[in-house]
Amino acid sequence: MNNMLIIGQYVPGSSFIHRLDPRTKITIIFFFVFFIFFANSLLSYGILTLFSVGSALATRIKVSYIIKGLTPVWFLILFTFLLHLLVTKDGEVLFRVFTYPIYTGAIIQGTAISLRFFLLILVTSLLTLTTSPIEITDAIENLLHPLKKIKFPVHELALMMSISLRFIPTLLQETEKISKAQASRGVDFKTGPIKERIQAVVPLLVPLFISAFKRAEELAMAMEARGYQGGEGRTKLRELKVGPLDWVALLCFILIIVALFVTRK
Amino acid sequence: MMQNNKTQSSKLLKLILFALLGTISMLLMFLKFPLPFLPSYLTIDFSDVPALLAALLFSPVAGVIVELVKNLLHLIIGGGEPVGVAANFLAGILFVVPVSVLYHKFKGVKSLVSGLVTGTVVMAIGMGILNYFLILPAYSLFMGMEEMAIPTVKWATVIGGILPFNAIKGVIVGVLFVPVFAKLRPWLEKKRLTLN
Repeated sequence: MNNMLIIGQYVPGSSFIHRLDPRTKITIIFFFVFFIFFANSLLSYGILTLFSVGSALATRIKVSYIIKGLTPVWFLILFTFLLHLLVTKDGEVLFRVFTYPIYTGAIIQGTAISLRFFLLILVTSLLTLTTSPIEITDAIENLLHPLKKIKFPVHELALMMSISLRFIPTLLQETEKISKAQASRGVDFKTGPIKERIQAVVPLLVPLFISAFKRAEELAMAMEARGYQGGEGRTKLRELKVGPLDWVALLCFILIIVALFVTRK
Repeated sequence: MMQNNKTQSSKLLKLILFALLGTISMLLMFLKFPLPFLPSYLTIDFSDVPALLAALLFSPVAGVIVELVKNLLHLIIGGGEPVGVAANFLAGILFVVPVSVLYHKFKGVKSLVSGLVTGTVVMAIGMGILNYFLILPAYSLFMGMEEMAIPTVKWATVIGGILPFNAIKGVIVGVLFVPVFAKLRPWLEKKRLTLN
């Protein structure tokens, strides 16, 4: 039951990556994903690997936990590598598997592309590992602020996201409770053919929706009783602040990018 | 003044309701299962049901908002990669919008069923086209697999994977949605007095 409540990857901590402003992290990751496609030499890949693995270690999250979070993509990475081995025909024949030739170019390209894919996933997952969902929401609200000019409801979206995040554990618990109640009446969720499993979801969804409606009414009333009146003039409990640490991180990242372009072929 | 207060409060109520439906939707994403004869990255789940409900009760835009909340949540808690999340969002819109537009035009059970059929067809064909021109090329760039962007490979993926997958997904979601909506309707009808 308890481990059902843990959804999402966030690991609280106090490393310097944890303490960075979420906007800094989002900006760096955004540009990392863009610039990684420029790497094309051994040295440039080396620099990016050093940066990614270094950042991952700097979070002081257990390496085994980070690796466990990447399990769904290991298969894809391996698949990409094998596909390149079979398809690419550059360079000399290195050796033969039975009679199928494996080229040196295939090994090099397969490794490079699997590495790039691995680094992409690793760095993007560092954001959700070290930043609480509520911080990410605040950062998104802040970064999207300019869109207010074209009447995009930034505040409303952020409010919806915070409410959603707040209610994930509550609704999960409720789902659990309802499914237990229905199971005690003989509904079977886990086995049987697809058709029966679909039908089993109906008695789960109906009470869930009804309670969502009731909850929404209560929450709306409670918010209005406390004087909620939209985003205008609302103050925040958590203020985002860019500190010296963020400037250091940004500077380091810019140096890495410069180094990437210097070592490029 | 009274009028103004009233619209403000029903707006807030809807906002909260969409947020909660989005949360349920995201949780339903975890109840996913692959289909035996399709690639394993195409998994079926019931996460479009809450969006469909919002779209039929309010407007097509409401459905789009619930889909948006669901996919943003999924991204923020670290459950998916950007391309897959974007693809799910697009598929959700292509399904929910046609169903609700048809339903709001002709109201009634028949229009709901024909709407679900139309939605399934629009989603299957729309996702086929989007995959061919947008999503598969994005994946091949993201994963560095130029092979995935070759037209014949793309055709094979669309015909053998994307089209049947979305068609089956539409049918399954529709089959689930009709009894859910039928059971909820009497209760909602009473509620409607307070909602509007």
